[in-house]
Amino acid sequence: MDILETRNLKKYYKTGNNGITVKALDGIDLSIKKGEFLSITGTSGSGKTTLLHMLGGLDTPTSGSIYVDGKDISNLDKDELAIFRRRKIGFVFQNYNLLPLMNVYENIVLPVRLDGIKPDKVFIDKIITALGLPDKKYFMPCQLSGGQQQRVALARALAAKPSIILADEPTGNLDSRTSLDVLGLIKTCAAQFGQTIAMITHNEEIAQMAGRIIRLEDGRICGGGCTND
Amino acid sequence: MIKVNNKPVINEIALTTYKANKKRNILIIFAIFLSTFLIASIISVGTSYWKTTMQRQLYTSGIDYDIALTEPEDAQIKKARTLEEIKYAGLLVKCAVLEKYQQKMLDKTRLYFADNTCFDKMVLPALETFTGTYPTKENEILLSSRTLGNMGIKKPIKGMGLKLSYYTLEEGTDEKIFEKEFILCGWYTDYTGKNKGYISEEFYKKSNVKPTDFTQGSLKIKLKQPLYTEKDILSLQNTLNLNNRQIIEADTSIISYFIKITAGLAGILFMVFASSCLFIYNTLYISVTKDIRYYGQLKTIGMTSVQLKKLINRQAAWNSLAGIPAGLAVAIMLSKIIIPKIISIIDYSYNANNTVPLNIWAFLIAGIFAMIVNKYSSYKPAKIAADCSPVEALNYTGISARPGKSKRERAGIFAMAVQNIFRNKKQAFVIFLSFVTAISVYLCTSIYIRANDAKYILNEVLDYDIRFQNETTLEEEKPLFTKEKTEQLKKLPGIKSVRTVSSTEAVVPYQEETFGRYFKELYSTRYFPDADYKSDMEKYKKNPENGLFTSRFIGIDEAGFEYLNKNIGNILDKNDFEAGRTAVTVRTFTEGDSGMTGKTMYFRLPGGLKPEKEYSVKIAAVASLQSNPASFAGGIAPEIIVSEKFAEKLLGETYIEAVLAEYKEPYNEVTEEEAISVFDGISGISSESRLRNYNEMKSTENKAKVLGNSISIIMAILAILNYLDMMASNVHSRSQELATLESIGMTSKQAKKMLGTEGISYAVISIIASLAAGIPLSYAVFNGINLYAGVSYSIPWGRNIVFFAIILIICIIIPVTIYHKIQKTGLSTRLRQNQ
Repeated sequence: MDILETRNLKKYYKTGNNGITVKALDGIDLSIKKGEFLSITGTSGSGKTTLLHMLGGLDTPTSGSIYVDGKDISNLDKDELAIFRRRKIGFVFQNYNLLPLMNVYENIVLPVRLDGIKPDKVFIDKIITALGLPDKKYFMPCQLSGGQQQRVALARALAAKPSIILADEPTGNLDSRTSLDVLGLIKTCAAQFGQTIAMITHNEEIAQMAGRIIRLEDGRICGGGCTND
Repeated sequence: MIKVNNKPVINEIALTTYKANKKRNILIIFAIFLSTFLIASIISVGTSYWKTTMQRQLYTSGIDYDIALTEPEDAQIKKARTLEEIKYAGLLVKCAVLEKYQQKMLDKTRLYFADNTCFDKMVLPALETFTGTYPTKENEILLSSRTLGNMGIKKPIKGMGLKLSYYTLEEGTDEKIFEKEFILCGWYTDYTGKNKGYISEEFYKKSNVKPTDFTQGSLKIKLKQPLYTEKDILSLQNTLNLNNRQIIEADTSIISYFIKITAGLAGILFMVFASSCLFIYNTLYISVTKDIRYYGQLKTIGMTSVQLKKLINRQAAWNSLAGIPAGLAVAIMLSKIIIPKIISIIDYSYNANNTVPLNIWAFLIAGIFAMIVNKYSSYKPAKIAADCSPVEALNYTGISARPGKSKRERAGIFAMAVQNIFRNKKQAFVIFLSFVTAISVYLCTSIYIRANDAKYILNEVLDYDIRFQNETTLEEEKPLFTKEKTEQLKKLPGIKSVRTVSSTEAVVPYQEETFGRYFKELYSTRYFPDADYKSDMEKYKKNPENGLFTSRFIGIDEAGFEYLNKNIGNILDKNDFEAGRTAVTVRTFTEGDSGMTGKTMYFRLPGGLKPEKEYSVKIAAVASLQSNPASFAGGIAPEIIVSEKFAEKLLGETYIEAVLAEYKEPYNEVTEEEAISVFDGISGISSESRLRNYNEMKSTENKAKVLGNSISIIMAILAILNYLDMMASNVHSRSQELATLESIGMTSKQAKKMLGTEGISYAVISIIASLAAGIPLSYAVFNGINLYAGVSYSIPWGRNIVFFAIILIICIIIPVTIYHKIQKTGLSTRLRQNQ
């Protein structure tokens, strides 16, 4: 069963003063199955991040549709998209995007609290333990290493029990050992909580850890689609 | 080290980043513009406002001098004029009192002789308007517009004849009335509120009044050094060899007064500077984190500290170049065009050309100050960046925390708002300091300007809108204020309340126990220099009916009681006073109560129902002369104020000396005209009103009002824009963080709620802190600068509440509006900017 699907997805930009149209995404047709781990690779400027942002409702397409759990999100307004994100999507960014004023615990539970729900402490503690952060629970982000911060970002992505995790080069700022640790955690957690993962990476080795790899070039899927399993 | 030609590349980077930070630079230029404008205009307009209020104070005193020697002798006058420390000395002699003009009684209209020095150098500068010349012939007279108005002459003509009754103040004569046809040679306006005029030297000489006559002559002295000490006055006394009853009238607290004024003004000026300094500093400091990261980036690619400094210098210079001239231009426009235009609209007769003279130094100070603050504040992030490694600078968040210290488990909207306010404690402190300073300066200026408002002063000084006085009281005693007339006045639609003051002669037999100390103190004042206390008291004991020793028995109604009680500190028991068990006595020339309070006094009322009966009453308090609602005095025995009910009980029908009225709408011209018309045509009634006093002050008042309100508005605008700029900078600097919050599911509504909560918190905390700091501060400033005795400290709550409400609205609306604008850039783009 497809949890994510795009149909002829296009995103065009007009650049600066000369008004040249840049085709960031140019007719993407993609389906992702529930529980699948997908790697998205490609050169810089190929449209990976734009695609991920479209899938997560951070950006709206110029044309085409995005279906999440069978629902077209391309026509939702800003606030509907925000609610969609906090319930369905967990984001992991390359630069973590943690809120510097909040401690680890507050950062993790923020999406849940924004939804007006009391955090499930047992579940949150389970994530924190799974990610090896129990002794860092009340630390501020600036007191953590890059790997630790990325683990907090992952915990935050998992806290609202989203069905999809979208990770934009989650290991981009980490050393190889920590990268493998974090990826292992993403995979384990996703398997444990039955989540679907779409991850952007430049790293071939890391991409190989996914169940399926797609390659983007000039806003189009130009390769991949095979499953590693 | 070999010098590298990197000027073009530095210029290029500076220009590129300057362009990229367009929005932030606009806010900085705006802050520089406002700060420059604030300092230049406050100094310019403030100086003019100060001069205007000082001028009004001069017009109120009617003569410009520092000290005065009473009853000067010829030799003393000559000597004074040769002394090094004296700038000039002018002789002023009170020669006569006008009584009547065409059956119109004139209220205490004194005629003075002023010599050339006195009139030209001391009186003329203290007159608002002067038409004609000083009297030269014996029958020439120069009168104040107020006196002419009392005579019913609204349009005086030079050379017009005025047949006047008067008596001279020659010692030994008993107010013998003369009649004379005077020729009006001029008229003038001042704000003394007194009826007076000037006569020629010839008249003065013929009047036989001598400068040495007691209380009539005075040598007004202007000192080269107007700040004098008690020692200076004592030395002058010795030099001029004063006789027993002569004194030098001087205010020996003038230096401390000057220090207080200077401290008050310096305090306000310091706060204006601090406020504008913080304004620029804050706007730059609020985005310090972003700047540090950027400078860190530049350092990672090899930019040296010197190059960084050059880059910052250029950007700071561009901001200064854009902000300072604009600020100065608007300040000039305000001073030279806008304010004079407003004044000329309000007052057609006003020559608006030199309302606010341009102070070049004020503009220089403003420009240089803004430039220095801008440069210093621009260096701040560079300095932080220089103090750490490039990588540390790249990752700078400005937030430092100790591990495990923040065991919070909140992450709600309100908690986030509070965290955001205090995210950087130093920054929060500086922002609040800036807000508190701006609001406090506004509070101080609004309080000071209110205290200098003519209407406010008149309301504080006069406790009535109009006062009618029966001028025949001591002589013919015509009952001019009949019950019908008083009722007629009460029934006027614009009248709120009417008070009456009755009075009659009282005989107070000598009472050593009650008044012994008072008489001794009275006789030791300079007003009884040659009097023989013992012999006078013997005379008093034998013949208390002698006019020299009698008193006035004054009756006041319930409304009058409230005013009197308020004046003396609410110490009277109303029931006892109304029932006639207690009374208030009035002291003259002495200080304190001379032991009268609590004692019983005895008196007889020759005009009462039982003229021979001796009544007694307990003295509940002793009031000063200023608190006495009656105007006419008896002999040396203190006046007795009792309730009107008690007076009626002893006198039957009382004799009304004065009628005081309050209007529903103060300063209402229609009510005033109607009130005057009630007693119109009755000879012997004079009147004094707030409106008339106010109208006399109108010209300077209009100017003072426009200037004062301009200062107030400038301060309010600055304070409000300070919030606006700070709120805008705050949201701008956090745009990426807000994007992160949106990415994890914060809706626009939630973000707006958070920003709104932050705004309200900023407003409420700063307003409370400003009141806590500003009220004591404004009280200190008020006490330092207050020019008018009797004017009490009060806060103009109305305008302050409006001001606070605007701040609150700004603090809620601005962050939300800016956020709304930021949101127009797609979330994806904003998140990418973060990466």
